[in-house]
Amino acid sequence: MDEFKSGFFVGGEACEGRVLVVDDEPDIRKVVKMTLQKAGYEVLEAENGERAIEVINSGENRLLLDVVICDIRMPKINGAEAIAYFRSNYPRVPLIVLTGFPDTDMATSFLRQGVVDYLVKPVEGEKLRSAVARAIEQRELAKL
Amino acid sequence: MERSDSTKVAILGAGRGGRALVDLLHQIPSIEIVGIADLDPDAPGLQRAHELQIPVTTNVPDLIDNHGVSLIMDVTGDPEMEKYLHAHKPPAADILSGSASRLLWKLIQHESKLEAELLQSEKLAGIGSLAAGIAHDINNPLQLILGLAENLTEERDLTAVHEQARDIIEAVKRTSAICRDLTHYSRRASSHQDVLVSVNDKLDEALKIARYASNLHDIEMIKQYQPNAAVKGNPDELLHVLVNLITNAVHAMELGGGTLTLETKLVDGQVHVRISDTGCGIAPDKIPEIFEPFFTTKAPGKGTGLGLYNVKTIVNKMQGTIAVDSKLEKGTTFTLTFPNAEPAGQGYLP
Repeated sequence: MDEFKSGFFVGGEACEGRVLVVDDEPDIRKVVKMTLQKAGYEVLEAENGERAIEVINSGENRLLLDVVICDIRMPKINGAEAIAYFRSNYPRVPLIVLTGFPDTDMATSFLRQGVVDYLVKPVEGEKLRSAVARAIEQRELAKL
Repeated sequence: MERSDSTKVAILGAGRGGRALVDLLHQIPSIEIVGIADLDPDAPGLQRAHELQIPVTTNVPDLIDNHGVSLIMDVTGDPEMEKYLHAHKPPAADILSGSASRLLWKLIQHESKLEAELLQSEKLAGIGSLAAGIAHDINNPLQLILGLAENLTEERDLTAVHEQARDIIEAVKRTSAICRDLTHYSRRASSHQDVLVSVNDKLDEALKIARYASNLHDIEMIKQYQPNAAVKGNPDELLHVLVNLITNAVHAMELGGGTLTLETKLVDGQVHVRISDTGCGIAPDKIPEIFEPFFTTKAPGKGTGLGLYNVKTIVNKMQGTIAVDSKLEKGTTFTLTFPNAEPAGQGYLP
């Protein structure tokens, strides 16, 4: 059981957690945040890969971040670069790609790198919430 | 361009055939059109000749006798003209008339159809490379619309409902603007009529399209526009030229970003359009080949090799020239030079 969490239920449908949304579009961050907050998640935002790396390295996020949802096409450090960084520095934080451009080759390559889900916008709230829940569940199982 | 070894051509008849001949022949450096004759002052070929500053006359004997003509091209379709020419042609001149000139007219029509097809197929191939950008720009607003709509099914706060409905409307408008830009770009170049085109507007429009083909995030943009810079030509074709050059510039800066400079200015009565990047540059030994058809440095399936070829064809058609200046690892500048679009009217033979 994760000692940093207060409300995590193994096998539960909805579980609280801290999610970082990385997307250069403020609208996307807004709507993803809205969708996840309803399910009780705490949502942090970053507008590009560079900022996302700063966020994950600041304070308690290093320990408390449960999931990163990451766009691909972004300025500064793009999604692919950010994902490579997260995988090598924070291998235990599950990554979900949320992209506007469906590309099978890219999806395969990300999944090989250990990305847990590859979602194509527009994605329904329910699907997004269950992807996040599944990612957290997998992470907890891996810890056992 | 006056050249001693050039073939001096006189064109008789300025209907559609005459106009097509003018368009074709003036692009060939070794041919000099010494004049075009037609009795109808409104003939389309005469209008075109004015634009290209080719002398225009109604006096056929003067045109064929006094200008060192080596080839007379008769596209009047008039049997009397054919007879007249055979009786009165200068000894040094050849005549192309009758069925030979009809055949030539057919070949020209065929050629211009092929050229249009080539341009269109390259444009459509290019749309494929826009797919990633288009998907990104359409799916982002769709995500917003979907998320907000889902929320609205449960939202009880009326102010929030109104605000989110407005956001949805805005997102729909953004999405439809994308489709409008693209359908405008992908359609066949419209009329054959040349019109005054604002180069600055076309540069801005091209930039919008190029965004879909390439990632402009890490690129600094500098615009230095001469107000009211105008050229004469087909607006759709000019747009195509600029989209191509801007997309190439951005692709050259794919690794590590850089600066894209778009510049228009008036120099000695000509309009200069400059598109510069600080990207990878072109190898000196490749520069002579870049305007050749099917030349590409892109990976198979990524480029048609027709981009710069079509660019040059269109620029020449607009009586313009294109020059390239490139240094490896420093960047590339393409400079287009067009005649300043001002009312035509000179170029009459006395």
